Amino acid sequence: MSTIRAALARVANSLTTPGPGMPAADLLVAPRTAEELAAVLEQATISGLKVLIWGGGTHQGLGYPLAPDLIVSVANLNRIVAWEPEDLTLVAEPGVAVAELETLLASKGQTALLPEVPGHGTLGGTLAAGLSGYRRGRYGPTRDRILEVTLVTGDGRIVKAGGRVVKNVTGYDLPRLVVGSLGSLGVIVSACLKLWPTPEAVATVIVDDSDRAALVYRPLAVLASPTKTQIYLGGTPAEVDDQARHLGGERVDELVWPPPLPGPLHWSLRIPPAQGAEAIGRLPSACAYLHQVTVGEIAVATETIEGMAAVRSWAESVGGRLVLTAGTVDGFDRWGTPPQGLDLQRRLIAGFDPARVLNPGRLPGRI
Amino acid sequence: MIDELRRALSEERVLDTPLARHLYAKDAGVYRGDASVVVLPLTTGEVVDVVKIAARHQVPLVARGAGTGLAAGAVPLEGGIVLSTTRMNQIGDVDPINRTAWVGPGVINLDLSRAVSHLGLHFAPDPSSQAACTIGGNVANNSGGPHCLSEGSTVNHVLALEMVLADGSVVTVGSPAPDPIGLDVRGVVVGSEGTLAIVTAALVKLTTNPPDVRTLLASFSRVADAAATVSGIIAAGVVPAALEMMDQKITQACENFIHAGLPTDAAAILLAEVVGETAAVDAEADLIKSIAVEQQARSVMLAADEAERALLWRARKSAFGAVAQIAPNYYLHDTVVPRTRLVDTLERIYEVGDRYGLTMMNVFHAGDGNLHPLMIFDAGEPGMIDRVTAASDELVKACVEAGGALSGEHGIGREKRDLMPLLFSPIDLDAQARIKEAFDPDGLFNPGKILPRGARCFDTGGGLPDGAWV
Repeated sequence: MSTIRAALARVANSLTTPGPGMPAADLLVAPRTAEELAAVLEQATISGLKVLIWGGGTHQGLGYPLAPDLIVSVANLNRIVAWEPEDLTLVAEPGVAVAELETLLASKGQTALLPEVPGHGTLGGTLAAGLSGYRRGRYGPTRDRILEVTLVTGDGRIVKAGGRVVKNVTGYDLPRLVVGSLGSLGVIVSACLKLWPTPEAVATVIVDDSDRAALVYRPLAVLASPTKTQIYLGGTPAEVDDQARHLGGERVDELVWPPPLPGPLHWSLRIPPAQGAEAIGRLPSACAYLHQVTVGEIAVATETIEGMAAVRSWAESVGGRLVLTAGTVDGFDRWGTPPQGLDLQRRLIAGFDPARVLNPGRLPGRI
Repeated sequence: MIDELRRALSEERVLDTPLARHLYAKDAGVYRGDASVVVLPLTTGEVVDVVKIAARHQVPLVARGAGTGLAAGAVPLEGGIVLSTTRMNQIGDVDPINRTAWVGPGVINLDLSRAVSHLGLHFAPDPSSQAACTIGGNVANNSGGPHCLSEGSTVNHVLALEMVLADGSVVTVGSPAPDPIGLDVRGVVVGSEGTLAIVTAALVKLTTNPPDVRTLLASFSRVADAAATVSGIIAAGVVPAALEMMDQKITQACENFIHAGLPTDAAAILLAEVVGETAAVDAEADLIKSIAVEQQARSVMLAADEAERALLWRARKSAFGAVAQIAPNYYLHDTVVPRTRLVDTLERIYEVGDRYGLTMMNVFHAGDGNLHPLMIFDAGEPGMIDRVTAASDELVKACVEAGGALSGEHGIGREKRDLMPLLFSPIDLDAQARIKEAFDPDGLFNPGKILPRGARCFDTGGGLPDGAWV
């Protein structure tokens, strides 16, 4: 281990204090450039190390746990590389904080539509975990907006794919494959995203009944909790006024996103959107939830796993999934039934991470 | 092998007559291949049989929808079996609340929209070839169309795929529910031009017809003014449903063909469309009009009703067909540049045309920088093909230099395969070749497309200098 440590020290910066929430590991690096990271991962492959990739540490509960040998933090890869407001594209490094990024974009009336309540979340982590904001209700998930990606593969190659244009069919869509891959294909060192302008006027309307949302053409989001439904509107002032009037209810002239759910167990229940009402009916009685009505995704918080096996079994029967996203439990699989084509997924990953060093074993199927 | 195919499918759906082999050896582009046999399966099971037979004989397998592609994606350049999906044209039950349906790869794009229009729905990707092209082809090319500016291209409208892999196994990837777990294999198969798997069914996402729409036609004396209007619209925070530009020559061609009342004396015209609730579209249409006027538009006309709107779109979508009337030969290009580089790229395109003595016309998806320069010529003229080839090369390179990519929607196919190194390093191409290898280790699915020869060349990790030949 000391030779490995020496080799890593030669090529990369080391953090002296681990970040908040980081697990114990023998080695911890925070490379400053893609080349430094490549040298680190090349060494990790040679030495067969298990590597945990760390952004903001907000979603490390996704997937099966890992006891890492080496933690690679992207904290020092945190530059905004290029923002072209006139072209509605942005290129940034993985360590950029989502909150800061969105504040910057808002200064010119633009947004990357990343999660609205990101905490310490980073751009790289958001992409690797496949997270989307609530405004996906209108604009679609994050994976629909990734244009180009540069990765450092498990064995230290620097690979670029895609392009910095909003419309592109030039080779395989590796950028899309990377979203939600939990780092298994490589550490993202640069990503180009398609931006959208922010609406001229916005409003949050609170109603009792989530069915009222059907009165509005393409709300930004519709979030239902046990006691109320919040409908998020965006558009021209006349349009927003019209829609708010139609809906009735209490209106606030800004987008007020709900606070995070309590714990300790967090779940993501994913079903075809039309099955939403039935899904809510099947949840255990004492739980908190936030239902993205037009999307078919329900964030659920419970104290225990009681009743959740039945929810999972039903969700899978309608083509969905119940995923445990935070909290530790024994004897309850975090992902549920793996997807089809696991052998194919293994082969894909092997082409990028032959020694399987990057977040190994965290994805469904434990690949 | 042909007997095995006949036993697996049927006599009449395995064609090896010289005529069939000739017809299926070409798409709508310039390359011609060589088909040993053409098969027309009806079911996923039959596709599995064909894949296994091809594998047993180690023969290439090229899937084909309607053959409207322009990049030779469906052309059997290395021989083998052409698998036509046109008989797999069933539209399954439409789920009107989830707005989804499983459809066969042979379903024609426009037929799908027509089949669901009574539910107030349509399929958003609308390439100009939509009256002929198939959903399978749309999946293979990640097809776009004018309305993908705000809606995105095919990959944003396909939730799941059933496909046959090279080993004959059938997998369904993706899901009717959001955020399927595991790698987004669906996302990489869309746009893979038939080189990774044979898609036998697609779960399409249908789009609600918008409550209202406004379509504007603005004409300009200078192309730069039209392009400045496009930039102005984006800068004002409006993302129209469609934003198309046509130059004078193409406008004249379309007008002669369709007679939609297009202004044929304008240097450029802009066709803009906004959708949404009435209050929104009125406000956005007013904004677009005022931006156009600010940029010296000679006229701005608002389509008065659905009939006028439909006529404008017919005129736009007939561009390719209209040109066929004018010249014996034409080459429709597909390039994409950042929107901010539209004007100078256009100038370079005209300049290249002048220098090579070729007539250049331009129609394009201005909103997303996807240009379709159209070269018209007479191939019979001595030396003309060489000039067209050289000019095309320069044109593509100019777009890449402007920060663009090789293709906005037609795909790489064979047409741009050998230009991939303009954008990607040997390590980048090797990584793409590894994706191909993971799906199709024997390389039988549509060989010779997308990636140039020798793309798969590195066995070791980093530390190799760029361009090193291992």
